[in-house]
Amino acid sequence: MTDISVQVDHVSKRFRMYHERNQSLKSAIMRGRRSVHEDFWALKDVSFEVPTGSTFGLIGSNGSGKSTLLKCLAKIYYPEKGSISHRGRIAALLEVGSGFHPELSGRENVFLNGSILGMTKKEVTRKFDEIVEFSGVEQFIDQPVKNYSSGMYVRLGFAIAINVDPDVLVVDEVLSVGDAEFQEKCSQKFVDFKAAGKTVILVSHSMTAVQEMCDSAAWLSHGELVSVGAAEPTIRAYLESLNSPSA
Amino acid sequence: MRYITEVLASRELLANLTLREIRGQYKRTIFGQLWSLVNPLATMLVYTIVFAFILRVSPPPGNPSGLNIFAVWLLCGLLPWTFFATVVQQGMGSIIANAGLVQKVYFSRIVLPLSTVGSVGYNWLFEMGVLLVVLAVCGSFVWPWIPLVLVVMVLLAIFAAGLALMLSVANVHFRDTQYLVSILMQIWMYLTPIIYPISLVEQQSQAHGGLFGSSITLLDIYRLNPLERFVSVFRQLLYDNTWPNIQDLVLCAVWACASIVIGVGVFRRSEKGLAEAL
Repeated sequence: MTDISVQVDHVSKRFRMYHERNQSLKSAIMRGRRSVHEDFWALKDVSFEVPTGSTFGLIGSNGSGKSTLLKCLAKIYYPEKGSISHRGRIAALLEVGSGFHPELSGRENVFLNGSILGMTKKEVTRKFDEIVEFSGVEQFIDQPVKNYSSGMYVRLGFAIAINVDPDVLVVDEVLSVGDAEFQEKCSQKFVDFKAAGKTVILVSHSMTAVQEMCDSAAWLSHGELVSVGAAEPTIRAYLESLNSPSA
Repeated sequence: MRYITEVLASRELLANLTLREIRGQYKRTIFGQLWSLVNPLATMLVYTIVFAFILRVSPPPGNPSGLNIFAVWLLCGLLPWTFFATVVQQGMGSIIANAGLVQKVYFSRIVLPLSTVGSVGYNWLFEMGVLLVVLAVCGSFVWPWIPLVLVVMVLLAIFAAGLALMLSVANVHFRDTQYLVSILMQIWMYLTPIIYPISLVEQQSQAHGGLFGSSITLLDIYRLNPLERFVSVFRQLLYDNTWPNIQDLVLCAVWACASIVIGVGVFRRSEKGLAEAL
Protein backbone atom coordinates (compact mmCIF):
# COMPACT_ATOMS: atom_id res chain seq x y z
CA MET A 1 0.00 0.00 0.00
CA THR A 2 1.25 3.45 -0.87
CA ASP A 3 0.88 6.57 1.24
CA ILE A 4 -2.50 7.26 2.69
CA SER A 5 -3.79 10.68 1.83
CA VAL A 6 -7.18 10.66 3.48
CA GLN A 7 -8.23 8.32 6.21
CA VAL A 8 -11.85 8.01 7.17
CA ASP A 9 -11.95 6.21 10.48
CA HIS A 10 -15.23 4.79 11.79
CA VAL A 11 -17.14 7.93 10.95
CA SER A 12 -20.74 8.25 12.07
CA LYS A 13 -22.84 11.33 11.55
CA ARG A 14 -26.12 11.97 13.26
CA PHE A 15 -28.81 14.41 12.32
CA ARG A 16 -31.59 15.27 14.64
CA MET A 17 -35.01 15.22 13.14
CA TYR A 18 -37.10 17.53 15.20
CA HIS A 19 -40.76 16.83 15.37
CA GLU A 20 -41.37 20.09 17.08
CA ARG A 21 -38.29 22.10 16.73
CA ASN A 22 -37.54 24.77 19.29
CA GLN A 23 -36.97 27.30 16.61
CA SER A 24 -38.57 30.10 18.50
CA LEU A 25 -37.95 31.28 21.99
CA LYS A 26 -41.57 30.91 22.88
CA SER A 27 -41.66 27.20 22.20
CA ALA A 28 -38.34 26.75 23.98
CA ILE A 29 -39.64 28.45 27.08
CA MET A 30 -43.08 26.90 26.99
CA ARG A 31 -41.73 23.39 26.76
CA GLY A 32 -38.78 23.90 29.02
CA ARG A 33 -35.46 23.04 27.56
CA ARG A 34 -36.50 19.81 25.97
CA SER A 35 -37.24 19.41 22.33
CA VAL A 36 -38.73 16.36 20.72
CA HIS A 37 -36.42 14.75 18.26
CA GLU A 38 -35.43 11.49 16.71
CA ASP A 39 -31.92 10.58 15.75
CA PHE A 40 -31.15 9.82 12.18
CA TRP A 41 -27.77 8.37 11.40
CA ALA A 42 -26.80 9.59 7.95
CA LEU A 43 -23.48 7.80 8.18
CA LYS A 44 -22.91 4.66 10.17
CA ASP A 45 -19.41 3.57 11.00
CA VAL A 46 -17.83 4.32 7.63
CA SER A 47 -14.14 3.62 7.26
CA PHE A 48 -11.87 3.66 4.27
CA GLU A 49 -8.53 4.96 3.14
CA VAL A 50 -7.67 6.91 0.06
CA PRO A 51 -4.12 6.45 -1.17
CA THR A 52 -2.17 9.49 -2.27
CA GLY A 53 -2.33 10.22 -5.94
CA SER A 54 -5.45 8.22 -6.61
CA THR A 55 -8.84 9.29 -7.78
CA PHE A 56 -11.51 7.97 -5.52
CA GLY A 57 -15.20 7.79 -6.33
CA LEU A 58 -18.14 7.75 -3.95
CA ILE A 59 -21.21 6.10 -5.41
CA GLY A 60 -24.62 5.23 -4.14
CA SER A 61 -28.26 6.07 -4.60
CA ASN A 62 -29.88 9.30 -3.46
CA GLY A 63 -29.92 9.61 0.29
CA SER A 64 -27.13 7.15 0.80
CA GLY A 65 -24.98 9.65 2.67
CA LYS A 66 -22.50 10.55 -0.04
CA SER A 67 -22.97 14.27 0.27
CA THR A 68 -22.94 14.09 4.05
CA LEU A 69 -19.63 12.29 3.90
CA LEU A 70 -18.34 14.88 1.47
CA LYS A 71 -19.39 17.66 3.79
CA CYS A 72 -17.64 15.90 6.64
CA LEU A 73 -14.51 15.74 4.49
CA ALA A 74 -14.91 19.42 3.73
CA LYS A 75 -15.19 20.22 7.46
CA ILE A 76 -18.64 21.71 7.01
CA TYR A 77 -20.16 18.99 9.17
CA TYR A 78 -18.37 17.36 12.03
CA PRO A 79 -18.91 13.65 12.65
CA GLU A 80 -20.35 12.59 16.00
CA LYS A 81 -18.08 9.57 16.13
CA GLY A 82 -14.86 8.65 14.43
CA SER A 83 -12.41 10.94 12.75
CA ILE A 84 -11.17 12.02 9.37
CA SER A 85 -7.51 12.73 8.92
CA HIS A 86 -5.79 13.97 5.82
CA ARG A 87 -2.36 14.96 4.70
CA GLY A 88 -1.81 18.32 3.11
CA ARG A 89 -4.31 20.91 2.13
CA ILE A 90 -7.83 19.82 1.38
CA ALA A 91 -10.19 21.83 -0.79
CA ALA A 92 -13.80 21.06 -1.40
CA LEU A 93 -15.77 22.00 -4.46
CA LEU A 94 -19.34 21.61 -3.37
CA GLU A 95 -20.64 24.59 -5.22
CA VAL A 96 -19.08 26.93 -7.74
CA GLY A 97 -19.07 30.66 -7.34
CA SER A 98 -19.70 30.64 -3.59
CA GLY A 99 -19.79 34.13 -2.23
CA PHE A 100 -19.81 35.89 -5.58
CA HIS A 101 -21.18 39.37 -5.17
CA PRO A 102 -23.40 40.12 -8.18
CA GLU A 103 -22.57 43.83 -8.28
CA LEU A 104 -18.81 43.34 -8.24
CA SER A 105 -16.75 42.72 -11.33
CA GLY A 106 -15.42 39.33 -12.33
CA ARG A 107 -11.94 40.47 -11.36
CA GLU A 108 -12.97 41.48 -7.84
CA ASN A 109 -14.92 38.29 -7.44
CA VAL A 110 -11.94 36.16 -8.40
CA PHE A 111 -10.00 37.65 -5.51
CA LEU A 112 -12.94 37.38 -3.15
CA ASN A 113 -13.80 33.81 -4.04
CA GLY A 114 -10.14 32.81 -4.05
CA SER A 115 -9.72 34.00 -0.49
CA ILE A 116 -12.91 32.26 0.59
CA LEU A 117 -11.44 29.06 -0.81
CA GLY A 118 -8.31 29.67 1.21
CA MET A 119 -5.92 31.19 -1.33
CA THR A 120 -3.70 34.09 -0.41
CA LYS A 121 -3.78 37.27 -2.41
CA LYS A 122 -0.34 36.49 -3.79
CA GLU A 123 -1.48 33.12 -5.04
CA VAL A 124 -4.52 34.58 -6.74
CA THR A 125 -2.45 37.30 -8.37
CA ARG A 126 -0.02 34.71 -9.65
CA LYS A 127 -2.75 32.50 -11.04
CA PHE A 128 -5.08 35.23 -12.16
CA ASP A 129 -4.31 34.98 -15.86
CA GLU A 130 -4.55 31.23 -15.78
CA ILE A 131 -7.93 31.40 -14.05
CA VAL A 132 -9.32 33.91 -16.50
CA GLU A 133 -8.00 32.01 -19.48
CA PHE A 134 -9.41 28.75 -18.20
CA SER A 135 -12.83 30.26 -17.63
CA GLY A 136 -12.88 31.87 -21.08
CA VAL A 137 -14.49 35.11 -19.90
CA GLU A 138 -11.47 37.36 -20.61
CA GLN A 139 -13.58 39.87 -22.44
CA PHE A 140 -16.01 40.36 -19.59
CA ILE A 141 -13.68 40.15 -16.61
CA ASP A 142 -14.29 43.78 -15.62
CA GLN A 143 -18.06 43.52 -15.93
CA PRO A 144 -20.23 42.88 -12.88
CA VAL A 145 -20.94 39.18 -12.63
CA LYS A 146 -24.69 39.76 -12.48
CA ASN A 147 -24.46 40.41 -16.23
CA TYR A 148 -22.80 37.05 -16.84
CA SER A 149 -24.68 34.23 -18.45
CA SER A 150 -25.17 31.29 -16.13
CA GLY A 151 -22.55 29.38 -18.09
CA MET A 152 -19.98 32.11 -17.69
CA TYR A 153 -20.78 32.35 -14.01
CA VAL A 154 -20.15 28.70 -13.27
CA ARG A 155 -17.13 28.58 -15.56
CA LEU A 156 -15.49 31.41 -13.69
CA GLY A 157 -16.38 29.81 -10.35
CA PHE A 158 -15.02 26.49 -11.45
CA ALA A 159 -11.85 28.01 -12.86
CA ILE A 160 -11.06 29.58 -9.49
CA ALA A 161 -11.79 26.43 -7.56
CA ILE A 162 -9.70 24.23 -9.80
CA ASN A 163 -6.77 26.57 -9.38
CA VAL A 164 -6.76 26.40 -5.59
CA ASP A 165 -4.20 23.67 -6.09
CA PRO A 166 -4.82 21.59 -3.01
CA ASP A 167 -3.25 18.24 -2.17
CA VAL A 168 -6.68 16.71 -1.87
CA LEU A 169 -9.59 17.88 -3.96
CA VAL A 170 -13.11 16.94 -2.98
CA VAL A 171 -15.65 17.37 -5.77
CA ASP A 172 -19.41 17.07 -5.78
CA GLU A 173 -20.82 16.54 -9.25
CA VAL A 174 -19.71 19.86 -10.53
CA LEU A 175 -18.14 18.30 -13.54
CA SER A 176 -21.31 18.81 -15.46
CA VAL A 177 -20.89 22.55 -15.86
CA GLY A 178 -20.45 24.42 -19.09
CA ASP A 179 -20.52 23.22 -22.64
CA ALA A 180 -18.77 20.19 -24.11
CA GLU A 181 -15.61 22.17 -24.76
CA PHE A 182 -15.39 23.36 -21.19
CA GLN A 183 -16.04 19.87 -19.87
CA GLU A 184 -13.22 18.62 -22.02
CA LYS A 185 -10.94 21.23 -20.41
CA CYS A 186 -12.09 20.15 -16.97
CA SER A 187 -11.36 16.47 -17.52
CA GLN A 188 -7.96 17.46 -18.84
CA LYS A 189 -7.39 19.42 -15.65
CA PHE A 190 -8.26 16.38 -13.58
CA VAL A 191 -5.79 14.29 -15.58
CA ASP A 192 -3.09 16.90 -14.94
CA PHE A 193 -4.06 16.90 -11.32
CA LYS A 194 -3.59 13.22 -11.07
CA ALA A 195 -0.33 13.34 -12.95
CA ALA A 196 0.90 15.82 -10.36
CA GLY A 197 0.30 13.20 -7.69
CA LYS A 198 -2.75 14.90 -6.17
CA THR A 199 -5.65 13.04 -4.67
CA VAL A 200 -9.20 13.54 -5.90
CA ILE A 201 -12.35 12.37 -4.16
CA LEU A 202 -15.46 12.68 -6.23
CA VAL A 203 -19.13 12.03 -5.90
CA SER A 204 -21.09 11.28 -9.00
CA HIS A 205 -24.20 9.62 -10.25
CA SER A 206 -22.66 9.17 -13.63
CA MET A 207 -21.14 5.70 -13.57
CA THR A 208 -19.34 6.31 -16.83
CA ALA A 209 -17.58 9.32 -15.33
CA VAL A 210 -16.59 7.35 -12.25
CA GLN A 211 -15.45 4.41 -14.33
CA GLU A 212 -13.38 6.65 -16.56
CA MET A 213 -11.72 8.70 -13.88
CA CYS A 214 -11.52 6.71 -10.69
CA ASP A 215 -9.06 4.06 -9.62
CA SER A 216 -11.07 2.99 -6.65
CA ALA A 217 -14.52 3.59 -5.33
CA ALA A 218 -16.66 3.23 -2.26
CA TRP A 219 -20.31 2.29 -2.42
CA LEU A 220 -22.57 3.71 0.23
CA SER A 221 -26.10 2.61 0.90
CA HIS A 222 -28.32 4.09 3.61
CA GLY A 223 -25.33 5.50 5.38
CA GLU A 224 -23.41 2.29 5.49
CA LEU A 225 -20.38 1.33 3.53
CA VAL A 226 -21.28 -1.63 1.34
CA SER A 227 -17.99 -2.16 -0.36
CA VAL A 228 -14.79 -0.41 -1.14
CA GLY A 229 -12.13 -1.36 -3.62
CA ALA A 230 -11.13 -1.05 -7.23
CA ALA A 231 -13.55 1.09 -9.18
CA GLU A 232 -14.69 -1.40 -11.76
CA PRO A 233 -15.99 -4.27 -9.57
CA THR A 234 -17.53 -1.82 -7.09
CA ILE A 235 -19.50 -0.11 -9.81
CA ARG A 236 -20.56 -3.46 -11.24
CA ALA A 237 -21.78 -4.63 -7.85
CA TYR A 238 -23.67 -1.38 -7.37
CA LEU A 239 -25.36 -1.58 -10.76
CA GLU A 240 -26.27 -5.21 -10.18
CA SER A 241 -27.92 -4.36 -6.89
CA LEU A 242 -30.04 -1.80 -8.70
CA ASN A 243 -31.24 -4.38 -11.20
CA SER A 244 -32.20 -6.91 -8.56
CA PRO A 245 -34.20 -5.05 -5.91
CA SER A 246 -34.15 -8.06 -3.59
CA ALA A 247 -30.40 -7.75 -3.07
CA MET B 1 -4.23 29.85 21.21
CA ARG B 2 -4.61 27.74 18.09
CA TYR B 3 -7.91 29.43 17.48
CA ILE B 4 -6.23 32.81 17.44
CA THR B 5 -3.68 31.65 14.88
CA GLU B 6 -6.50 30.31 12.74
CA VAL B 7 -8.36 33.59 12.90
CA LEU B 8 -5.17 35.47 12.14
CA ALA B 9 -4.64 33.25 9.14
CA SER B 10 -8.02 34.34 7.80
CA ARG B 11 -7.29 38.04 8.04
CA GLU B 12 -7.00 38.28 4.27
CA LEU B 13 -10.42 36.73 3.90
CA LEU B 14 -11.70 39.12 6.53
CA ALA B 15 -10.33 42.05 4.55
CA ASN B 16 -11.84 40.74 1.34
CA LEU B 17 -15.27 40.19 2.86
CA THR B 18 -15.16 43.65 4.38
CA LEU B 19 -14.25 45.09 1.00
CA ARG B 20 -17.09 43.16 -0.58
CA GLU B 21 -19.53 44.85 1.77
CA ILE B 22 -18.02 48.28 1.32
CA ARG B 23 -17.79 48.10 -2.45
CA GLY B 24 -21.14 46.44 -2.90
CA GLN B 25 -23.01 48.73 -0.55
CA TYR B 26 -23.35 51.89 -2.59
CA LYS B 27 -22.93 50.39 -6.06
CA ARG B 28 -25.30 51.91 -8.57
CA THR B 29 -26.13 54.90 -6.42
CA ILE B 30 -25.34 58.37 -7.67
CA PHE B 31 -24.24 59.79 -4.33
CA GLY B 32 -22.32 56.72 -3.23
CA GLN B 33 -20.59 57.05 0.12
CA LEU B 34 -22.45 60.30 0.85
CA TRP B 35 -25.49 58.20 1.70
CA SER B 36 -23.74 56.99 4.82
CA LEU B 37 -23.86 60.61 6.03
CA VAL B 38 -27.51 61.19 5.25
CA ASN B 39 -28.85 58.87 7.90
CA PRO B 40 -27.06 60.43 10.90
CA LEU B 41 -27.76 63.90 9.53
CA ALA B 42 -31.47 63.24 9.23
CA THR B 43 -31.59 61.78 12.74
CA MET B 44 -29.63 64.75 14.02
CA LEU B 45 -32.06 67.15 12.42
CA VAL B 46 -35.09 65.42 13.89
CA TYR B 47 -33.64 65.14 17.38
CA THR B 48 -32.37 68.70 17.32
CA ILE B 49 -35.79 70.05 16.38
CA VAL B 50 -37.67 67.89 18.85
CA PHE B 51 -35.34 67.97 21.82
CA ALA B 52 -33.52 71.26 21.58
CA PHE B 53 -36.20 73.40 19.98
CA ILE B 54 -39.46 71.97 21.27
CA LEU B 55 -38.54 70.25 24.53
CA ARG B 56 -35.75 72.71 25.35
CA VAL B 57 -33.16 70.21 26.46
CA SER B 58 -29.95 72.11 27.02
CA PRO B 59 -26.77 70.16 27.74
CA PRO B 60 -24.06 71.97 29.66
CA PRO B 61 -21.56 73.78 27.42
CA GLY B 62 -18.29 72.06 26.68
CA ASN B 63 -15.76 72.58 29.42
CA PRO B 64 -13.10 73.84 28.67
CA SER B 65 -13.93 74.03 24.95
CA GLY B 66 -16.86 76.41 25.50
CA LEU B 67 -18.87 74.83 22.68
CA ASN B 68 -22.59 75.20 23.08
CA ILE B 69 -24.29 73.73 20.05
CA PHE B 70 -26.88 71.04 20.64
CA ALA B 71 -26.53 69.46 17.20
CA VAL B 72 -22.77 68.98 17.58
CA TRP B 73 -23.13 67.76 21.14
CA LEU B 74 -25.73 65.29 19.92
CA LEU B 75 -23.56 63.98 17.10
CA CYS B 76 -20.67 63.26 19.47
CA GLY B 77 -22.90 60.68 21.16
CA LEU B 78 -25.14 59.73 18.27
CA LEU B 79 -22.45 58.62 15.82
CA PRO B 80 -20.86 56.12 18.23
CA TRP B 81 -24.29 54.83 19.16
CA THR B 82 -25.39 54.40 15.54
CA PHE B 83 -22.19 52.50 14.81
CA PHE B 84 -22.73 50.26 17.80
CA ALA B 85 -26.36 49.57 17.01
CA THR B 86 -25.66 48.87 13.34
CA VAL B 87 -22.81 46.47 14.11
CA VAL B 88 -24.93 44.56 16.60
CA GLN B 89 -27.89 44.30 14.24
CA GLN B 90 -26.02 43.53 11.04
CA GLY B 91 -23.47 41.29 12.74
CA MET B 92 -26.30 39.34 14.31
CA GLY B 93 -27.73 38.55 10.89
CA SER B 94 -24.40 37.94 9.18
CA ILE B 95 -24.37 34.16 9.51
CA ILE B 96 -27.91 33.81 8.20
CA ALA B 97 -27.26 36.27 5.37
CA ASN B 98 -24.33 34.12 4.28
CA ALA B 99 -26.04 30.77 4.85
CA GLY B 100 -25.13 29.60 1.36
CA LEU B 101 -21.48 30.18 2.03
CA VAL B 102 -21.51 28.55 5.44
CA GLN B 103 -23.13 25.42 4.07
CA LYS B 104 -20.80 25.06 1.10
CA VAL B 105 -17.34 26.20 2.04
CA TYR B 106 -15.15 25.70 5.03
CA PHE B 107 -13.58 28.82 6.46
CA SER B 108 -13.25 30.37 9.85
CA ARG B 109 -16.87 31.40 10.46
CA ILE B 110 -15.92 34.17 12.79
CA VAL B 111 -14.90 36.35 9.84
CA LEU B 112 -18.55 36.84 8.89
CA PRO B 113 -19.64 38.87 11.95
CA LEU B 114 -16.21 40.48 12.11
CA SER B 115 -16.42 41.67 8.52
CA THR B 116 -19.60 43.52 9.44
CA VAL B 117 -17.66 45.34 12.12
CA GLY B 118 -15.15 46.25 9.44
CA SER B 119 -17.61 47.51 6.87
CA VAL B 120 -19.79 49.41 9.35
CA GLY B 121 -16.63 50.72 10.99
CA TYR B 122 -15.46 52.07 7.66
CA ASN B 123 -18.62 54.13 7.34
CA TRP B 124 -18.26 55.26 10.91
CA LEU B 125 -14.70 56.38 10.31
CA PHE B 126 -15.96 58.45 7.42
CA GLU B 127 -18.71 60.00 9.57
CA MET B 128 -16.32 60.73 12.42
CA GLY B 129 -13.98 62.39 9.95
CA VAL B 130 -16.74 64.73 8.90
CA LEU B 131 -17.63 65.35 12.55
CA LEU B 132 -14.03 66.32 13.26
CA VAL B 133 -14.18 68.92 10.51
CA VAL B 134 -17.48 70.24 11.86
CA LEU B 135 -16.03 70.40 15.39
CA ALA B 136 -12.99 72.27 14.14
CA VAL B 137 -15.13 74.73 12.24
CA CYS B 138 -17.24 75.33 15.35
CA GLY B 139 -14.11 76.22 17.28
CA SER B 140 -13.29 73.03 19.12
CA PHE B 141 -9.58 72.38 19.45
CA VAL B 142 -10.01 68.67 18.86
CA TRP B 143 -6.80 67.69 17.04
CA PRO B 144 -4.64 66.63 20.03
CA TRP B 145 -7.35 64.23 21.16
CA ILE B 146 -7.61 62.30 17.91
CA PRO B 147 -5.27 59.43 18.92
CA LEU B 148 -7.24 58.84 22.10
CA VAL B 149 -10.53 59.06 20.18
CA LEU B 150 -9.23 56.32 17.88
CA VAL B 151 -8.38 54.15 20.87
CA VAL B 152 -11.88 54.53 22.27
CA MET B 153 -13.35 53.85 18.84
CA VAL B 154 -11.42 50.58 18.72
CA LEU B 155 -12.67 49.71 22.21
CA LEU B 156 -16.25 50.35 21.18
CA ALA B 157 -15.76 48.26 18.04
CA ILE B 158 -14.44 45.40 20.18
CA PHE B 159 -17.37 45.71 22.55
CA ALA B 160 -19.83 45.68 19.66
CA ALA B 161 -18.03 42.76 17.99
CA GLY B 162 -18.32 40.61 21.10
CA LEU B 163 -22.02 41.28 21.36
CA ALA B 164 -22.53 40.65 17.63
CA LEU B 165 -20.72 37.31 17.92
CA MET B 166 -22.96 36.13 20.75
CA LEU B 167 -26.12 37.28 19.04
CA SER B 168 -25.21 35.89 15.62
CA VAL B 169 -25.08 32.41 17.11
CA ALA B 170 -28.27 32.93 19.06
CA ASN B 171 -29.97 34.15 15.91
CA VAL B 172 -29.12 30.97 14.01
CA HIS B 173 -30.87 28.89 16.66
CA PHE B 174 -33.69 31.28 17.45
CA ARG B 175 -34.71 33.69 14.73
CA ASP B 176 -36.69 35.57 17.36
CA THR B 177 -33.42 37.11 18.46
CA GLN B 178 -33.34 39.68 15.69
CA TYR B 179 -36.80 41.00 16.49
CA LEU B 180 -36.20 41.03 20.20
CA VAL B 181 -32.87 42.77 19.79
CA SER B 182 -34.24 45.50 17.54
CA ILE B 183 -36.71 46.40 20.29
CA LEU B 184 -34.08 46.18 22.99
CA MET B 185 -31.78 48.44 21.01
CA GLN B 186 -34.45 51.13 20.92
CA ILE B 187 -34.90 50.93 24.66
CA TRP B 188 -31.17 50.86 25.16
CA MET B 189 -30.75 54.03 23.16
CA TYR B 190 -33.14 55.93 25.41
CA LEU B 191 -31.39 54.48 28.46
CA THR B 192 -28.18 56.07 27.27
CA PRO B 193 -27.61 59.82 27.56
CA ILE B 194 -27.43 60.46 23.83
CA ILE B 195 -30.22 62.91 23.23
CA TYR B 196 -30.42 64.24 26.77
CA PRO B 197 -27.63 65.13 29.19
CA ILE B 198 -26.94 62.83 32.12
CA SER B 199 -27.47 65.83 34.44
CA LEU B 200 -31.23 65.31 34.04
CA VAL B 201 -30.87 61.78 35.38
CA GLU B 202 -28.71 63.05 38.22
CA GLN B 203 -31.48 65.45 39.28
CA GLN B 204 -34.08 62.68 39.30
CA SER B 205 -31.71 60.40 41.16
CA GLN B 206 -31.11 63.00 43.86
CA ALA B 207 -34.81 63.60 44.21
CA HIS B 208 -35.39 59.90 44.88
CA GLY B 209 -32.36 59.30 47.08
CA GLY B 210 -31.29 55.76 47.95
CA LEU B 211 -33.49 53.06 46.52
CA PHE B 212 -35.33 50.72 48.87
CA GLY B 213 -33.55 52.12 51.88
CA SER B 214 -30.09 51.30 50.51
CA SER B 215 -27.38 53.69 49.43
CA ILE B 216 -27.70 52.63 45.79
CA THR B 217 -29.13 55.49 43.76
CA LEU B 218 -30.92 55.52 40.47
CA LEU B 219 -27.81 57.01 38.93
CA ASP B 220 -25.64 54.11 40.06
CA ILE B 221 -27.88 51.67 38.27
CA TYR B 222 -28.14 53.94 35.27
CA ARG B 223 -24.39 54.09 34.99
CA LEU B 224 -24.06 50.31 34.76
CA ASN B 225 -24.88 50.77 31.09
CA PRO B 226 -21.59 50.34 29.24
CA LEU B 227 -22.69 52.67 26.46
CA GLU B 228 -23.14 55.47 28.99
CA ARG B 229 -19.41 55.28 29.70
CA PHE B 230 -18.51 55.16 26.03
CA VAL B 231 -20.71 58.11 25.16
CA SER B 232 -19.38 60.20 28.01
CA VAL B 233 -15.78 59.43 27.05
CA PHE B 234 -16.48 60.45 23.45
CA ARG B 235 -18.10 63.67 24.62
CA GLN B 236 -15.27 64.49 27.01
CA LEU B 237 -12.77 64.07 24.20
CA LEU B 238 -14.62 65.58 21.28
CA TYR B 239 -16.97 68.12 22.77
CA ASP B 240 -15.23 69.17 25.97
CA ASN B 241 -11.65 68.66 24.70
CA THR B 242 -10.45 67.33 28.01
CA TRP B 243 -8.87 64.20 29.42
CA PRO B 244 -11.56 61.60 29.87
CA ASN B 245 -12.45 60.45 33.33
CA ILE B 246 -9.95 57.65 33.97
CA GLN B 247 -12.56 55.47 35.65
CA ASP B 248 -14.81 55.75 32.59
CA LEU B 249 -11.98 54.90 30.27
CA VAL B 250 -10.92 51.85 32.28
CA LEU B 251 -14.50 50.65 32.45
CA CYS B 252 -14.82 50.98 28.67
CA ALA B 253 -11.77 48.75 28.29
CA VAL B 254 -13.11 46.25 30.82
CA TRP B 255 -16.49 46.08 29.08
CA ALA B 256 -14.80 45.62 25.72
CA CYS B 257 -12.59 42.80 26.98
CA ALA B 258 -15.41 41.03 28.76
CA SER B 259 -17.63 41.27 25.70
CA ILE B 260 -15.06 39.95 23.24
CA VAL B 261 -13.91 37.12 25.51
CA ILE B 262 -17.45 35.89 26.07
CA GLY B 263 -18.36 36.52 22.43
CA VAL B 264 -15.45 34.56 21.01
CA GLY B 265 -15.96 31.83 23.60
CA VAL B 266 -19.63 31.41 22.73
CA PHE B 267 -18.96 31.60 19.02
CA ARG B 268 -16.18 29.07 19.14
CA ARG B 269 -18.27 26.58 21.04
CA SER B 270 -21.11 26.64 18.55
CA GLU B 271 -19.16 27.31 15.37
CA LYS B 272 -19.07 23.68 14.32
CA GLY B 273 -22.80 23.23 14.53
CA LEU B 274 -23.68 26.30 12.48
CA ALA B 275 -23.89 24.65 9.06
CA GLU B 276 -26.30 22.07 10.44
CA ALA B 277 -28.44 24.44 12.43
CA LEU B 278 -29.01 26.87 9.57
